[in-house]
Amino acid sequence: MIEFKNISLVYDKKIVLDNINATISKGEFVSIIGPNGAGKTTLIKILMGLIKPTSGSVLIEGLPPNEYISKHKVSYLPQQTNINWSMPLRVMDIMLIENTKTFGIFKKPNKELIEKAKKMLDRFDILDIENKYLKELSGGQKQRVELARCLLKNPQILVLDEPNTALDAVFNEKMYNILLEEKQKNKTTIILVSHDIGAVSKFVDKIMCLNVKLHCADKPEHIDFKKLIAVLYGNDTNIVLHSAGCESCQFYKTQ
Amino acid sequence: MSILQNPIIVSVLIKALVAGICLSILLSILSYFVVLQRLNFLGVGISHSVFAGLAINYFFALSTLFIPIGFACLTALIIGILYRKGLSKDSAINVMFVFTMALGAIVLSFSSGYSANIMGMLFGDILAINSIDIVYSIILLFLGLLLLSVFFSHLQLITFNEELAKINGINVDLAYYLFLMFLAIVIVLSVKLIGIILVNAFLVLPALCGMNVARSYAKVIFWSIIFSVISTISAIFLSYYLNTPSGATIVIVFFILWLISGMYNKILKWRKQ
Repeated sequence: MIEFKNISLVYDKKIVLDNINATISKGEFVSIIGPNGAGKTTLIKILMGLIKPTSGSVLIEGLPPNEYISKHKVSYLPQQTNINWSMPLRVMDIMLIENTKTFGIFKKPNKELIEKAKKMLDRFDILDIENKYLKELSGGQKQRVELARCLLKNPQILVLDEPNTALDAVFNEKMYNILLEEKQKNKTTIILVSHDIGAVSKFVDKIMCLNVKLHCADKPEHIDFKKLIAVLYGNDTNIVLHSAGCESCQFYKTQ
Repeated sequence: MSILQNPIIVSVLIKALVAGICLSILLSILSYFVVLQRLNFLGVGISHSVFAGLAINYFFALSTLFIPIGFACLTALIIGILYRKGLSKDSAINVMFVFTMALGAIVLSFSSGYSANIMGMLFGDILAINSIDIVYSIILLFLGLLLLSVFFSHLQLITFNEELAKINGINVDLAYYLFLMFLAIVIVLSVKLIGIILVNAFLVLPALCGMNVARSYAKVIFWSIIFSVISTISAIFLSYYLNTPSGATIVIVFFILWLISGMYNKILKWRKQ
């Protein structure tokens, strides 16, 4: 279980996060939504032990983040803009880059790991680009490579910061299905930051609505989206959610 | 008379070649990370801090490398701390660059007869390379290769994404400071060969040439080393024959190699289309 206890963060005299209290159960699929500058990325960076909160604490299975992450498999997908895509690396290099014991200039990765990486690339329909260089990839391909890298570890906790920004509509649907498979098969706890409120409301167990404060943390079916959207984004915003007979969902399925 | 018949000249050239090859190999590998981490201007900041250290040496008539190394390491550390604390890389480098240059100029103005040495200091002088420099260069090459063979994958991950590196248990701040300090030491030893003003060329041009002719990281580094060693060897002989500053000659040769590698890259792209 992940526990956010009274998390507050003040940066340059500005309140970024204000007294966040929430819990995420093991194997739960949670999405954090909110407008730009709401503190979504900051909150997951605190969860990953990358930023220290001004007050409060995060506990993962009773341990501070850094201690838990050093002992367990945790995968993190940072925002695309924070990744150095100009490096002279191939897609397969990215799959192995976290494995610092076997990946390097005088080191050889083992065949088992390479085979596993190939299977994962195949799962994301990108095995054909395993030898392509990063400079040759489109935004969507980069995002798929990053998702494949994250799942290669078989993580117990998977934290994804806007993983679907560059994905096309068809693969966006497929990504959610792969994540659901992962959750069911390995009981992976998934935390996903997204602006795609319509899609997340269809797939996740819980939505955390954040805008400096935590406005709600509940199952999608229990959330009054109209009211919530007005609180988060203003009264003029209208969001169309996917319904049971949604035409675009039917379109995804036929694809 | 052939230069090989003059033992003094042969000795000077051998010293320059050995030190030059060792340092160019190291600087080529370091340039891979300098360019990819967009620290291109860093060499300028660190090398100019050596000016202050060398000026103190001249003032007190010392020949030790410890003062320039100390100045370079301290500058690298301060640049690193300022950057990690939120100042932009360029601003941090600029602040330290102008301060150490000004300090060096003031100290030199109190020293008598400094002008004779200033050209060598600024643009490189192979005659200034002595046996101790060679020993330092060889030790540094082995130490550098050992460290890079162990920590290459860590530096690669840090360059790809610092947050990912932190999550994988790498102390990114420590790695960054150690990288800057090691770079500072290599730069101090390279100053006699290349000069304060031009040493930064060795931190940028190798990787740029390597990236023009190769695409995988291992080949980029391999070709960076080849380009560096070729330009160092040819420029040392050219500088002797033409009586030109060694650093300036190395940079001119390197610049020509960069142009050729760039043309090769354009031809490759054009043939692919």
